[in-house]
Amino acid sequence: MYWEKELEILERKNLQKLQVERLMKTMRQAANAPYYGRVPEIRAFLDSGMTSIEQIRELPFTSKEDLRQDFPWGFLSTDKRDVVRLHSSSGTTGNPTVVYHNRHDLDSWANLMARSLFAAGVRDTDVFQNICGYGLFTGGLGFQYGVEKLGCLSIPAGAGNSPRQIKLMRDFGTTVAHAIPSYLGRLLDVFREEGFDPRRDTKLHTLVIGAEPHTEEHRRRIEEMFGVKAYNSFGLSEMNGPGVAFECTEQNGLHVWEDAYVVEIIDPQTLQPVADGEIGELVMTTLDRQAMPVIRYRTRDLTRFLPGECRCGRTHRRLDRISGRSDDMFIVKGCNVFPMQIEGVLMKLPEVGDDYRILLDTIDDQDEMIVEVEVKKEWFRGDLAFLDRLQRHITRLIRDEVLVRPLIKLVEPGSIPKAEGKAVRVIDQRKN
Amino acid sequence: MTYQVSIFLENKLGHLERVTAVLRDAQINIRSIHLNHTANGWGILNLVVSNPELAHQRLNESGMSAALREIAVVKMADRPGGLDELLRDIVRAGVNFTNAYGRTVNDGESAFFVVDVQDIPEARKKLMDVGLELLADQLVYGI
Repeated sequence: MYWEKELEILERKNLQKLQVERLMKTMRQAANAPYYGRVPEIRAFLDSGMTSIEQIRELPFTSKEDLRQDFPWGFLSTDKRDVVRLHSSSGTTGNPTVVYHNRHDLDSWANLMARSLFAAGVRDTDVFQNICGYGLFTGGLGFQYGVEKLGCLSIPAGAGNSPRQIKLMRDFGTTVAHAIPSYLGRLLDVFREEGFDPRRDTKLHTLVIGAEPHTEEHRRRIEEMFGVKAYNSFGLSEMNGPGVAFECTEQNGLHVWEDAYVVEIIDPQTLQPVADGEIGELVMTTLDRQAMPVIRYRTRDLTRFLPGECRCGRTHRRLDRISGRSDDMFIVKGCNVFPMQIEGVLMKLPEVGDDYRILLDTIDDQDEMIVEVEVKKEWFRGDLAFLDRLQRHITRLIRDEVLVRPLIKLVEPGSIPKAEGKAVRVIDQRKN
Repeated sequence: MTYQVSIFLENKLGHLERVTAVLRDAQINIRSIHLNHTANGWGILNLVVSNPELAHQRLNESGMSAALREIAVVKMADRPGGLDELLRDIVRAGVNFTNAYGRTVNDGESAFFVVDVQDIPEARKKLMDVGLELLADQLVYGI
């Protein structure tokens, strides 16, 4: 039933006491980092102590911009020799977001991941296929180490190549798979093309879906198509990656592991906590990370605490599925994309006009990012080959920047509405 | 020098008509039309018109991407085998074109063939070296 019973059903009073202890420890560790060493509020708590976890509100927030500005070592709280891995966001313009881990951090992360999967009913008897990109992206290695910790037979399949995914599933009797929800429609198409029905021709009983916002209806459709239970997974690289919050078998909200994180939900305008159960921006603090503690990180994800207790008995509160962002980031094919990244690429090209538009759409069951680009009049010479080359060039540059291959659409000058004030640069027409 | 007008066009309802409306208002006659499109939703419209400079100016004024593009126009016979004869000569001249289209001429015996290549001066020379007749602007533009 539980991976770590004592911790998972710990009385809230004691859970909060544990949080205060761990936050003090975290602050002591964080003060070693150049960035947090400069924060007077941290010094004050280290001098006078902390009595209630609510006092965390006296600490300043940490934003993504802060992480980038102090790139690369400003948040490192330990000797570089102690660090064994880094994960990093995409991007070639400006500084990426980097998170460092020492051995303790990786073990703690793997344990949270194992706890999460166990809560969703995954056991060491399962065969787990991780259909997810490995490398700097946390979904690959994050799941890998957790699955190994749990004791499943792991298949590090990586992303893409659907016929091979299906062959692996059938050859080794995969029972659990992890993938981004938008990929599963594509996978199902290939199942059908090859004359298979995943309900009949595989041993799948569970799918873990995450890294992309999706609706309850979409989840139910996935469950129906694959004949499985599908569980929502939430994480972000600044807080390790996957394994931050996870659904239990009740499938009613994602338990966020409060022994590992302090979780706050604030009004993004007033920066004050919202009333319990109201939607606001998720703010998180690591409680069990040594190489790079992060304090009051503004995730920009909008969600709320689900009221009441969960029937599973876990005392760690549940988050509702993410309902949006308090900034303009969007997620496509599992990758986080900021419109500014795309703008940065386009504005460096002399051939391209100032106006552009990003359309997110579902084409043949696959989510696609279409970027509409105007070619400046003075560059038009009536030459088809030139435009074709330009189109491929832009495709490659954006792909390198955001790791998602866009569909570039060249459009007539003046056909994209001019950006005035808060122009809508992103139009999301995706079906799910 | 002979020119076609090339216009960047999205493949959308009404976009071609926007071009023809501008030409109609400027009283410009379209002598020949060639439209190609890519799988990416856009294409290039090539026009031989009675007054390419004016067409270019008016189309740009109305916000479109239009370009004047030099072409070579050669004469061919308006009868079965006419194009084949011409192409044999073009092959002999060693001119590989990226685009081509044509139209008949009012005399009932001949037609013209528009050749679009990167290096027009060199192509003209090569075509003339094998004895092909390059048409005068007046004949091409019909003025």
